[in-house]
Order: sequence, then C-alpha cells, then structure tokens
Amino acid sequence: MGKLHRKTLETGVEGLGDSYFTESLALSTPPDDPDPLDSNLLLRELQWLLQDATGDVGRSQNPDLVPLRADLGDLYGLWRERVLERRPFQYVVGCEHWRDLVLWVGEGVLIPRPETEVVVDLVREVVIGRSGRGDGEEVWADLGTGSGAIAVGMGGVVGERGRVVATDLSEVAVKVARFNVERYALKDKVQIRQGSWFEPLEDVKGKLTGLVSNPPYIPSRNLPGLQAEVGRYEPKLALDGGESGMDHLIHLCEGSVSYLKPGGFFAFETNGDEQSEFLVDFMVSKLENSFRDVKAVADFAGIKRFVTGFRS
Amino acid sequence: MARVISLQCFSLARLLQSRPSVRPTLLFHHPRFRPISASSVSSSISDEDYVSLTEEELMKQCEMDTFKASGPGGQHRNKRESAVRLRHVPTGIVSQAVEDRSQHKNRASALARLRTLLDLKVRKTIDLNEYEPPPELLQILPKKSTIRGADSGPQIGPNNSKFASGMQALLDLIFAVNGSVADAAKNLGLSTGALSRLILSDDSLRMEVNELRSSKGMRPLK
Ligand SMILES: C[S@@+](CC[C@H](N)C(=O)[O-])C[C@H]1O[C@@H](n2cnc3c(N)ncnc32)[C@H](O)[C@@H]1O
Repeated sequence: MGKLHRKTLETGVEGLGDSYFTESLALSTPPDDPDPLDSNLLLRELQWLLQDATGDVGRSQNPDLVPLRADLGDLYGLWRERVLERRPFQYVVGCEHWRDLVLWVGEGVLIPRPETEVVVDLVREVVIGRSGRGDGEEVWADLGTGSGAIAVGMGGVVGERGRVVATDLSEVAVKVARFNVERYALKDKVQIRQGSWFEPLEDVKGKLTGLVSNPPYIPSRNLPGLQAEVGRYEPKLALDGGESGMDHLIHLCEGSVSYLKPGGFFAFETNGDEQSEFLVDFMVSKLENSFRDVKAVADFAGIKRFVTGFRS
Repeated sequence: MARVISLQCFSLARLLQSRPSVRPTLLFHHPRFRPISASSVSSSISDEDYVSLTEEELMKQCEMDTFKASGPGGQHRNKRESAVRLRHVPTGIVSQAVEDRSQHKNRASALARLRTLLDLKVRKTIDLNEYEPPPELLQILPKKSTIRGADSGPQIGPNNSKFASGMQALLDLIFAVNGSVADAAKNLGLSTGALSRLILSDDSLRMEVNELRSSKGMRPLK
C-alpha cells in the first residue's frame, strides 16, 4: 500500500512534486475542447480522491506520512480515466456527497444533483405543517429513485408515522438504492420496488400522503450535446424525457390524480422555467379541480425547477 | 434499458475492497475558505431583528449567487461545484463555504457564518435619551459598574457563549455614540479605562470598535 506525505493530502498536488498527478492536470484541457475541465475543480477532486483513499491516519508511525488504502499507481489509473476519458468523479470514487448523506453510486445509476437536495426540504416543510393532524400511517412515494437519494433523504424527515416506497425500472438502480437504504439503517422505513412508475404501487393507490419524482426530463434531441461526463457515462434511461422532455412528467401528473389521497402533496423536478410553467398550466386547466395550490418553485440559481401542489 | 453493469465495477470502492468512504471530511479545514473579511463590509443600521429569523426566513433574504448563469443545470450537468456563496440582500453581507463536498452542508455553514456576520455588522438604533442597557449587556460589564445591580450575577467573559449577545448590545451603544468610548462608558456607569479594557479583552469586539473609530477618523484602541 502506498504512503503519502501529509502535506500532499492537505494541498492536493503540492508535495506530489514532479509526479504524474500534476502532469495530468496539464493534460486535462486540450486547447480545442469546447467543454473544458475546470482546473480548480479538478484540483479539489484530486484532493477528495486522496481523501477517500486515505487509511487510518492515527495508526501511522511517522506523523508526516499518511497511509493509503490503495497503491498510488492504481489511483493514478483512476485519475487518468477521470481526466482523459471524462469519467465522472463520483463514479471514480464510487460515491457522492448529497445533503448530509454519502451515497453509493456507479455506472448505471444517475449521480444525484445538488438541485434535487431541495426536494427533501419541500417534503420536510409539508411534514412539519401536517404534524398533529391525523394519526394513521403516512406513505410517501419516490418514483424513479435512482441511487435512492430522495428516498433515503425522505426517510429521515417523514416522521414517526411516515414510511417511504420508492420505485425504479432499472435493476442497477434498485440494487444501489437498496444498498444505500441499508447503509443508513432505514430498511424498515424505506422500501425499494422494481417496476415502471406507478405499477409497483397498486397496494397504496389513492392512499399516498405525498409523491415526489425527479424523472428523466431532457428532450431527446439535446442528449447528443450533453457534457461529456453526463452524455458518455450516465444512463440514458435516467435522462431521456422523450421529444419534449415531458413524456414522463405528464404521465406522473396524470397518475397523481388517482394515487394521491385527498390533500396529498406532490413535487416534481423539471428541466426549468418552460417545463414548470407548462406543467402548472396543465395541472390547473387540463386536470381541472384535481389539484390545488399548484405552483412552480425556483432552485438556488433562480430557475423554476420544481412544480408542487396538493390533491384536492 | 440502462446499461446494466454489475456493481463489481464500482472503481475505488472495489479497489479498496471495502465500502466507499463514509467518513466525514474532517481532515480538511481549509484556512483559505474563510468568510469574507470584515473590512470589506461596513456596519449598517437596521431596525430589522435578523437574529430572531429562522433559517428559512434568513435564507429567503439571501441570493445564492454561486450558480447564477450556469446554464440549464439539473440533469444536464455533472456539477462538482458544491461551493455556496450567500449574499444577504438587505445588508449586502456575503458569506461563503466551500469546504464540504455537499452543497447542502456548505449552505448550512454559509448560513451560520452569515448569522455571525450579521450579529457583528448590523447595529440596532438606540435612543440615547432613554437609554437603558439591556440585561445581556449588564452581564458582561465588570462589577464596578455603578449601574450594574447585584441581580446581574457574575461578570460573563468572552469565553462564555452568552458574551456574544452582550457584545452586540455594547456595539449598538458605541455605534450610537459615534465610537466615543468615553461617552459609552458614561452610559454604562464605568470609567473610560474600564470600558477600554473590556473592549480589548475580545478580538472581534476590539476589531469592530476600531473599524468604526477609524471610519470616524479616530485613533484605534490599543
Ligand atoms: C433523473 S433520474 C433520478 C434519480 C434520482 N431520483 C435522483 O434524483 O438522483 C430518473 C430515474 O428514473 C428512472 N426511470 C426511468 N424510466 C422509468 C420508468 N418507466 N419507471 C420507473 N423509473 C424509471 C431511471 O432509471 C432513473 O433512475
């Protein structure tokens, strides 16, 4: 196993001196790349890579040396994939830090995005608002759960009486989501089921207290132009929203009519302003009288990223 | 269907032959990522009581300008940029956090820093004609203060967590008397020397007072 100077760990590359890691930074941005890697970000990623590969610092004999859990040469192999092949950093290290969670991710499952962290906050607000009302069990659903990010996050906020059922069509996603649920000891609270959207939810039809989803919403024609890390590595099943990008969103809005109980809450993530405005209008006018308080909610960049509301 | 790849291929996790790291990233406390230096924001007066705002209310007053103009976002981007920069719109105070790998946690740190800055930077207006030091201020005054009753208990020093609120109230007063330590001391039943010693006993208090004094063309306390 390798050893590393503590200083390297703290600064990322300084201290690796003339080694190949620094060289890779220079390689990272060919002058003609239309979508270049940002070297500041790369530096930070390198630091994180070393962090994740660090062994038990407390047991090192020499206080200046930090034991590594992997061989430096192997780490360099991973780093090359990151830099030259644009493999997403999260797939390289096998995890993503999301909210206060560290979720296992890998090829075949979408890396959860920071924007989506807000979905859990939206749910939490509703749970707090409802507290004291009713006394039965409350079932929440996360459709297209991917790594299980939203489902695990919700498991922590739905309260004593709440439980979560999450679905995904992808076998890999179901495996990863189950793993993440178990890692956070939420097995009794969060159940992962394989199947298409509402299909695995017959037993809770009309009984859902809340329903959230971040379904694929990118218009098919935009898929070829995606950032290399996304387009080359992340599953198309997790991104492709059909011609307008809204095939799945519309299906979910329609399904909510029959799966939510009266007063039940929904929140969907969308591609942004245009889709959110369309959906608000769609739910108010086309699915008339089924929903109330339907509105678009902005993300931190000011883009209308979510549509929320309640079943009448 | 998604590319079905067995879980075995997850790289570093496999390389390490163990689960991916779940250790919080305690090793890294970057000294360079401090909130914006005090000197770049001058104090402002406000009747708004920011201290009592909840997290959500405070957040609503902020712009999170890190991600402005960053394209469509969401599923389109692999964004390792988890840094958060908050701008508190009513006061213009900025705080940021980039040390964590999750945006959520950086937002919480940035918000906590913003609170500290607001405490330090935003002064309440005081009517000197009817001034009565609030109890939290009395608590940090030395016993010899003539207006400090026995019921104020022992003097609270800078290491006590209650010191901060007393310090806010003291800064409000010093601000109201335009930085004059002598005038503030009179209002507190103390000698100028005793109040100076109190101010010098805490670094952030001293810096705030001196910043105000230098903006009024006065000598700094040393
Ligand atoms: C954009 S990803 C969101 C993943 C996760 N919820 C998150 O926010 O990180 C969309 C997810 O929907 C799943 N999906 C696609 N089609 C589906 C279907 N017909 N039924 C259920 N899930 C589906 C994909 O496998 C993918 O995991």
